[in-house]
Amino acid sequence: MGGTIALNPGNISATRKVTRRATTESLAVRWTLIGATVMFLGIFLFLPLAVVFAQAFEKGLATYWASLREPDALAAIRLTLLAAGIAVPLNLVFGIAAAWAIGKFEFVGKSLLITLIDLPFSVSPVVSGLIYVLLFGLQGLMGPWLARHNLQIIFAVPGIVLATIFVTFPFVAHELIPVLQAQGQEEEEAALVLGASGWQTFFRVSLPNCKWGLLYGVILCNARAMGEFGAVSVVSGHIRGLTNTMPLHVEILYNQYDFAAAFAVASLLALLALVTLLVKTAVEWRARRQAAQLALWSAQEEAKA
Amino acid sequence: MSIEARNITKQFGQFAALHSVSLEIPSGELVALLGPSGSGKTTLLRIIAGLEFADSGTVRFDGEDITTVQARDRKVGFVFQHYALFRHMTVFDNIAFGLRVQPRKWRRSKEQIHDKVHELLKLIQLKNLAGRYPSQLSGGQRQRVALARALAVEPSVLLLDEPFGSLDAKVRLELRRWLRQLHDEVHITSVFVTHDQEEALEVADRIAVMNEGKIEQVGSPDEVYHHPASPFVYNFLGNVNLFHGRLDEERLSIDEKAASGNLVYVRPHLLDIHRQATNGSHFRATIKHIHSAGPLVKIEALAEWGAPVHVELSQERFRDLQLAKNEAVFIIPREMKVFRNGKGTFDGENTIH
Repeated sequence: MGGTIALNPGNISATRKVTRRATTESLAVRWTLIGATVMFLGIFLFLPLAVVFAQAFEKGLATYWASLREPDALAAIRLTLLAAGIAVPLNLVFGIAAAWAIGKFEFVGKSLLITLIDLPFSVSPVVSGLIYVLLFGLQGLMGPWLARHNLQIIFAVPGIVLATIFVTFPFVAHELIPVLQAQGQEEEEAALVLGASGWQTFFRVSLPNCKWGLLYGVILCNARAMGEFGAVSVVSGHIRGLTNTMPLHVEILYNQYDFAAAFAVASLLALLALVTLLVKTAVEWRARRQAAQLALWSAQEEAKA
Repeated sequence: MSIEARNITKQFGQFAALHSVSLEIPSGELVALLGPSGSGKTTLLRIIAGLEFADSGTVRFDGEDITTVQARDRKVGFVFQHYALFRHMTVFDNIAFGLRVQPRKWRRSKEQIHDKVHELLKLIQLKNLAGRYPSQLSGGQRQRVALARALAVEPSVLLLDEPFGSLDAKVRLELRRWLRQLHDEVHITSVFVTHDQEEALEVADRIAVMNEGKIEQVGSPDEVYHHPASPFVYNFLGNVNLFHGRLDEERLSIDEKAASGNLVYVRPHLLDIHRQATNGSHFRATIKHIHSAGPLVKIEALAEWGAPVHVELSQERFRDLQLAKNEAVFIIPREMKVFRNGKGTFDGENTIH
């Protein structure tokens, strides 16, 4: 009897198959949403990026190359690498320690500590820079003492490094805390019972377990350390060849209407951002693939059993 | 190695996990800490392992006070409830971990470690899975790897926290028989925590029944099952019907409202059902439900005083009786356990036949 139903013309609408899932919208809605997103991305992301590179190469490869090899530009690149080179390892150590304390232990003031760690995210970078001026500047809290001992922090490299550390210190901790919290303590307890020392437990069990989160945090931390403008601008003093980082150097060149050179240095920063994104994607992809592969294997095992 | 815990007290904030608990475990025994969740059994196990430290009391291994010794120096094997295998290491590396982290002075050579791990892989019957990661193993396999990892360092004491808790029923049964066999071969002093009375009765040499941070009774499975020291133990070991009543001379009158009466416990399989009243003790009941799937027929009846009563009959007896739902019958207790002075304060027992 079932076959006759399909032949009845009055029932055609009932037999037509609905292929899309309940949560999927119609084609028109989908294309409108996708189109809007792509347009937005194009205007606010791809277009500026393309402009940066177009402007950088506007006067030819030779000019591009020359503006990068100019001594002030080289000094700025060196300083940026130095600041990031100091800030990232320090924040790595700090981030692990803080995430460890928060992820593995219960103590009074824990939520306050989490809020404090996120402070640089919520404070304007300019304010972060000003804090250091107020602390270490000549008129600042520790200014006279520093002057007596001939130590210069503000308008010098130490100030830039300090400001960079401040604005980038939440990144590693921020990435690690949820990972460590999710892990719990059992594996570490197992290592201890098996006779491992604290360091052995840390390097053989805890660290390998959170390596992806850690790497991700470091990548983000590094990107911000190299790209930071506001905080560094306040403490730097913009002394060419001495206290200029790459972002500051770009600004100076731009203000001098030296657009080709400005965009050449800017293209380096943009390139760094692209490389960072690429590495980040690769890291995420590897972590995901590993998880997926393990899940697949265990599913196969269960199917066999 | 013998274990002795004396007057162990442990408090977690407001919650008192252990009240002055003492337990002695002779060398080579397999002991179960049995109790409901929150009874302090896991805390006691973790204190013995050194993963938790008691607020007061002492722990001794072979008479030597190790109360303040760190977990890593106690030489215990610990098997965690959720295995706690190192997820980024293969099965081989997991088992070898304890051997590899030993101080260089007495660390074995690479070949010796390799041999030892393979010997253990053979013991747990997972020789061909040495290169797998924990997430590629089934629950039962993970549990065996966890056990091998604990045994690799040749501990003097093996501690297992709910070792079969997260396995499905069939694997559970297999694995606990295997553990018993293993213990008979290796003869290492072992303590395992469980909330499953059947598991404790089947596997352990002795059982310590715990409740609310105290040990209610320690004894062989036979002792705790047949001679429970308290209503709690009787109640916890197996299904039970609880009646309130008064015991005068040899006669027991059930009175559910008697607040200060005696507690009467009867196991469902010690109740029989008859159609006629007998000379001995009996009470009336109406049959409400019959579950006949399984080795025993489980019958739920409503006693004459309005409380539900559980009866277990053999399939043969059930067939002879031909019982039907809502039928009025007489229930005859073959054996009852009466705890005088109910209300948890226990001062003696009677068994009525």
